[in-house]
Amino acid sequence: MDFIATSVGTFGYPTSPGKKRHAWLSAAGLLAVAVALPMLASPASAEKLTIWSGWPDLVPFYKRVGDQLKAKYPDLDISVEAIALREHEKRLALSLPSGAAGDVIEMEVEAARYLEAGLIPEPPASIVEFVKANYDMTRVKTATYEGKIYGVPLFQGQGALFYNTDTFAKAGLNSPPKTMADYTAYAQKLVQRDTSGAPTVSGWSLRLSGGGSGIAEKYWTILYNFGGTLLEEKGGKWRAAYANEAGRNALKQYLDNVVTYRTVSPEMKADAEAFELGQTAMFIRESWVIGDIAKKAPNLKYATAPLPKGTLMVPVDLYVPNKGPKSQIAWDFVQKANEPENLLWLLENTAWVPNRKGLDYSAVLGKIPQLGAFVNTPADHVFFTVPAISPASEILTRLAARLEKAFTDKSLAGNDAGIDAFLKSAAEESDKILAREDLLAKP
Amino acid sequence: MRSKPKWLFPVLALLPVLGLYACLRIYPIAETLRLSLFKWNIISRRKPFVGLDNFVELMSDPLFLEAIFNTTIVAFGVLVITIPVGLALAALINGRQGLRRSGFYETSIFLPHVVSLVPAAMAWKWIFDARLGPLNALIGWFGIPAQAWLFDPALSLVCLIVLCSWQSIGYAVLIFLVGLKNVPEALYEAARLDGASALQAFRYVAIPLLRPVMLYVSVITLISSYNIYAQAFVLASDVQGAPGHLVRVLVLDMLENSFRNYRVGYAAAEAVVLLVIVLVLTGAQFRLFRDRSRA
Amino acid sequence: MSDPDHPSSDVDRNAPAGLAIDVVLFAVGLMMLLPLVFLISNAFKTPPELLAWPPTIIPDRPTLENILGVLHETPLLHWIGNTLIFAGISTASVVTTSAIAGYVLGKFDLPWFPAVFGIIIATSVVPFEVYMIPLYLNVQAAGMLNTLPGLLVGYLVMSFGIFLVRQYVTTSIPDELLEAARVDGAGEGWIFLRIVLPLMRGPLGALAVLAFFQAWTAFAWPLVVTTNKDTYTLEVGLALFQTGFTVDIGHLSAAAALALVPSALFFSLMRRNFVRGVAGTGLKE
Repeated sequence: MDFIATSVGTFGYPTSPGKKRHAWLSAAGLLAVAVALPMLASPASAEKLTIWSGWPDLVPFYKRVGDQLKAKYPDLDISVEAIALREHEKRLALSLPSGAAGDVIEMEVEAARYLEAGLIPEPPASIVEFVKANYDMTRVKTATYEGKIYGVPLFQGQGALFYNTDTFAKAGLNSPPKTMADYTAYAQKLVQRDTSGAPTVSGWSLRLSGGGSGIAEKYWTILYNFGGTLLEEKGGKWRAAYANEAGRNALKQYLDNVVTYRTVSPEMKADAEAFELGQTAMFIRESWVIGDIAKKAPNLKYATAPLPKGTLMVPVDLYVPNKGPKSQIAWDFVQKANEPENLLWLLENTAWVPNRKGLDYSAVLGKIPQLGAFVNTPADHVFFTVPAISPASEILTRLAARLEKAFTDKSLAGNDAGIDAFLKSAAEESDKILAREDLLAKP
Repeated sequence: MRSKPKWLFPVLALLPVLGLYACLRIYPIAETLRLSLFKWNIISRRKPFVGLDNFVELMSDPLFLEAIFNTTIVAFGVLVITIPVGLALAALINGRQGLRRSGFYETSIFLPHVVSLVPAAMAWKWIFDARLGPLNALIGWFGIPAQAWLFDPALSLVCLIVLCSWQSIGYAVLIFLVGLKNVPEALYEAARLDGASALQAFRYVAIPLLRPVMLYVSVITLISSYNIYAQAFVLASDVQGAPGHLVRVLVLDMLENSFRNYRVGYAAAEAVVLLVIVLVLTGAQFRLFRDRSRA
Repeated sequence: MSDPDHPSSDVDRNAPAGLAIDVVLFAVGLMMLLPLVFLISNAFKTPPELLAWPPTIIPDRPTLENILGVLHETPLLHWIGNTLIFAGISTASVVTTSAIAGYVLGKFDLPWFPAVFGIIIATSVVPFEVYMIPLYLNVQAAGMLNTLPGLLVGYLVMSFGIFLVRQYVTTSIPDELLEAARVDGAGEGWIFLRIVLPLMRGPLGALAVLAFFQAWTAFAWPLVVTTNKDTYTLEVGLALFQTGFTVDIGHLSAAAALALVPSALFFSLMRRNFVRGVAGTGLKE
């Protein structure tokens, strides 16, 4: 450490005793404040039920359920801690193994890894009966491990088309697109451009960047509606299934819209924000957008329509991860949340679609017709899910990174061989990840 | 009192500090080196030894390579901006010492360094915003078309460099100022008597004396720029309604691998690579500055 | 900041050049502050004005709604409190450990001390993020997630601090002073507390500022150690607040602007001591 050497400082003066006492006093004062603050901040409470959610828009719902529960537990204090989904997933990964998680938690397909590791206790028999009696077993798959039910489904994310009816009318369109080919044709009619030809209102807002794995999930939805799928199961193992014609058609649709017809560009406002600002004519999203529009753009004229074949569905289930005296209250909370009256409130106020069978939606649909595309899907509409395997998110993230570059790659436009090569190499990467985790199915 | 051995006080006084170092620095660093040879997913009890497999896989991992590339560009970008600009500002401020306004200069330049990262990154995020941001308004006056700063992969790197330089310049200026104050006034006087201009005096008197300080600042700047994470996280935070382009940096990739893909061993291998890079660069800087000062 | 070594008469001699320098510095200073000014101004804007083009610097119709909204919706003051406590204790620990270790390593000659000092300095080259995960696993195993001790674990010692103090001690505290006290029969502890510590006020003050801001701006560690809204530090709370479901620039700016206040205040109070304290340690050849 020879780069800093000697010099005599100018501050080597001793202090007078009086001054010093003053310094000690202020230090002691600071310490006292430091000790007192946390005590002020956390009032002691015997019964505090903590709800961990990955959806900040659900806070009012959980608070409402908590208030109802106070009839049974008058001293109960409900704390709803909702943070962004990715952070929520991370806190689960960090706290479940150490038993530090909330009393009621939401989990999606990632529950599989915790169930497999034995980190989630089994619910009481009454809860299992409740689930068996009131839910379609296909919707309980993610909460089931080795034939046993561990959680209670609450709601699900599923996609549908949102379209701006004013913009549609202006373009002479009076019905939503029916086939995937329609989507591109519509986008060309709907796009609005400035004098240089650059789009100012996109015809169809595609997910072109951001959100990590979200890019791949959106691609998957389009891929599915072209008759393909991302991963296929064979005897409990999986394999990438998108390096084929459906995969090519799906990627081509992006390239057509971004590069060839320029109905959308990566730098434009996108997604719900663009739709609410009138800067896109249509886009595919989950039902929560209905609630968001009601809050931010209540005067927007829009309608919804189911996708041609099917949609990615993400079920959100509730679990009680901690054993102990509070678990009974926690399960009461879960059951309360799933009462029909509360689920209909959830649908009406947050636009999330409940999972429970036999709910009467007519009153809510009368108020919010746009929910129809989500709760009254055609009989042959398919709901598919992300497989409950641990490398799923890594596969999606890596594919997303490749897709983000491909969507704007001019050399791929109209170049089927190039697209096929791209998909082949991406699929090999997906398979490699599956193989690493010993989950790769034989071709 | 004299009977106590001389080594007793220093050893007893040092022990607690050494204990902290052993637990909080040396052990975790050693453990990182060890974990990088295993495959482990945080929750499983199985933790098989895989030798150098993690490192082999890293070498052909496109996301990791992208992260190294981005981080290196940002780190050197920040270094190339911070050192000369910091030095120039410090020299100018040094010339204004004793004036009341020099307090304003110091504070305004240093403040970005001590502002919490998140508010700072938020401010910049808004400045760079393609539709509402003042930056596009500014370049619009000069007839330059609006740019998608945070969506274009190359431009978002530029944004990150600007943000990080803005934060690091204050510290550099401060340390340079300290160094400049320790340059004896007599040396400047002598140079001036020899007919040197102020610029020449600075170049030939101050800069050689500042070399150790420059070494210190450049080591600190490079290490901290290789660690950037919060800035990238906030600039591109994936807000559901309107996500931006994420600049993948090393720490971000590491955290994603350990806490989202549950690959702790793999992330540890990345950490080891980061460690090697930082050590090599620090060594290179030492060599560079030492050789120059000998010449 | 006045400095007796550099008389300002020198500056006044060539006024035009001095003026030019002032203009440049003033412009740079403003540019550095501009992002923060925008942030504060956005905090007072109404939603329509936030969407206005071109953006304004001074709000047309300033509103307090954003700030009140943020204070109502988030435990922002609680987060600031958490961070103050965390940064305060971290600073105290860093200053204490650095003072002791720096003094001992600088003034006592045990054969293995140079090696110890070398190791301490070497660890400072290792980025914190490199060994964060094993540290995390230990904190988790000890059940200290979401606790103040867990948060502090990463911020109790600072190699630069030990380096700074050792530097100061070897160059600015004469051995004769300590010897004289020893001859008078003073104990080593008394010498450290009554003679050495008062002499180190300058560098320790500077170190305190550095340590405080290091903890104040810590991000990656608090982000993984705190998973509970009540235990967030300000940085984490703000970051997660902004990744909420949808964007609200007004509220975000208000939260960020409020978060600015403590650090700006603390720095302007400590600025003089800080610069002089670092200078006093002799960062020169």
